[in-house]
Amino acid sequence: MLEVLFIGLSLGSILLLVALGLAITYGAMGVINMAHGEMVMVGAYVTVLSGIWLGTNIFVAIPLAFIVTALLGLLIERVVVRRLYGRLLDTLLATWGIAILIQQAVRLEFGLTFLGIHIQGLGPGLQNVAVPPFLQGTFSILGADINRYRTFIILVTAFLALMTWFIIYRTAIGTQVRAIIRNPKMAAACGIDVTRVNALTFAFGSGLAGVAGVMMSGFKTVFPDMGTSMVVDGFLVVVMGGVGSLLGSVLSAGILGEINGLVAAATNDILARAVVFGVVIAIIVLKPKGLFALKGR
Amino acid sequence: MLAFAHVDSFYDRSHILHDVCLDVLSGEVTAVMGRNGTGKTTLLKTLMGLTDRMDGEIRLDGDDLGTKPTFQRARAGIAYVPQGREIIPDFSIRENILMGSFARNDGRREIPALVAELFPYLMNNLERNGGVLSGGQQQQLAIARALAADPKIILLDEPNEGIQPSIVEEIENVIIRLNRDVGLTVILVEQNVSFVRRAAHRFAMMEKGRVVASGEIGELSDTLVHRHMAV
Repeated sequence: MLEVLFIGLSLGSILLLVALGLAITYGAMGVINMAHGEMVMVGAYVTVLSGIWLGTNIFVAIPLAFIVTALLGLLIERVVVRRLYGRLLDTLLATWGIAILIQQAVRLEFGLTFLGIHIQGLGPGLQNVAVPPFLQGTFSILGADINRYRTFIILVTAFLALMTWFIIYRTAIGTQVRAIIRNPKMAAACGIDVTRVNALTFAFGSGLAGVAGVMMSGFKTVFPDMGTSMVVDGFLVVVMGGVGSLLGSVLSAGILGEINGLVAAATNDILARAVVFGVVIAIIVLKPKGLFALKGR
Repeated sequence: MLAFAHVDSFYDRSHILHDVCLDVLSGEVTAVMGRNGTGKTTLLKTLMGLTDRMDGEIRLDGDDLGTKPTFQRARAGIAYVPQGREIIPDFSIRENILMGSFARNDGRREIPALVAELFPYLMNNLERNGGVLSGGQQQQLAIARALAADPKIILLDEPNEGIQPSIVEEIENVIIRLNRDVGLTVILVEQNVSFVRRAAHRFAMMEKGRVVASGEIGELSDTLVHRHMAV
């Protein structure tokens, strides 16, 4: 039983890393970022590529993936999203397009396949990442065999969630982000550079998703489409938790992760996914603003 | 000096302000008057850059403000106390006040001594949430937030609207003190004629998005008030 709860917790951790970025960008900026899942995918590929070309392990990949995806997020915000603030549906379509663009860039190895050049680690195929030996296997607590790698995922997530909490609630820039979530016009009238803060928030959220990708690469195969389902899961967490509420995202990521883990252990993955969708639908019907609503969807 | 020159302002396709020309002299209280829906609030919002689009020029001591984004106008020294206060309900009083300090150019984030002197109640309840305050206290909080920006000009949009009568006089005295003792330039949107006569140096009367009369406060005659403000 403890093993199953633990698997659920690690699934919830990945969900949380994906959802934290969405919770902030969707909450603060009213942008539906369909390319957020691709940040997970890019983070996973950073792990693959740094393993192959630099010979480094997952610990180097975490900061590297954060930087790469944060910069990519910054670029997307600067070039596209910035021009679409206040146009929710347009952001959805535009970022969906960006998502497809990034997927194809990886699949076609940035177009180099047309020239007959191949980069090891890219392309349409499946990639695998080797986890360092001391993160493999299990250790036992209270008679339960606990997977080391899943423990690692939970610890990294806990650290990043705490760091996010600290930034949002204990720093000046975090106060600015919270002010923008609640009242962007008044925030600007108080001298807050909304455009700049939004860009940084977007980059930070993308970076967290990139780290989620690094974590996922350790126990799932890496392939160009892997981000598509992640963005859906991320939005499920955000909507269920209440838009703009970090605490809500943390709790709903935990709940959905556990439901997924428990049902999957008792039956199978497909049914687990169906139950997760069912629970989210039920919660949206009963509490349309989510568990901890700051504002509606 | 703050100068509006031939300012037109728009929300989406609605043309609200028409060819507004107005000079606001430093160190004075300028009252903007008129019936509801004549563009008084829009005038302040246009000055803060919170309408969708504007034509014409707004200059502060010669600097072109009209093309700058809202936060730079705030940092140029204009603090805005909007109608309805727009306090953030789940921020503490301290956080609400310190929000204003993001407009300071020296990067300091502190509650000014002036706020402590004017609003002792706020200072004694810094950790309470802004949302639990009464209307009058929220108005004090909105003024405190504006003062935390260390501004040159403060914009007040109907500061006495929806406030219990016993507090109104208190707020009126604060506004007069901010100008006379602290030396702030004040733009005051106000419908209460007797308060305007007490507080303001100059007035501008608005009708249908235009300034139809303006001048020194002595020129604000009863006929003028009757013609543009009687319902």
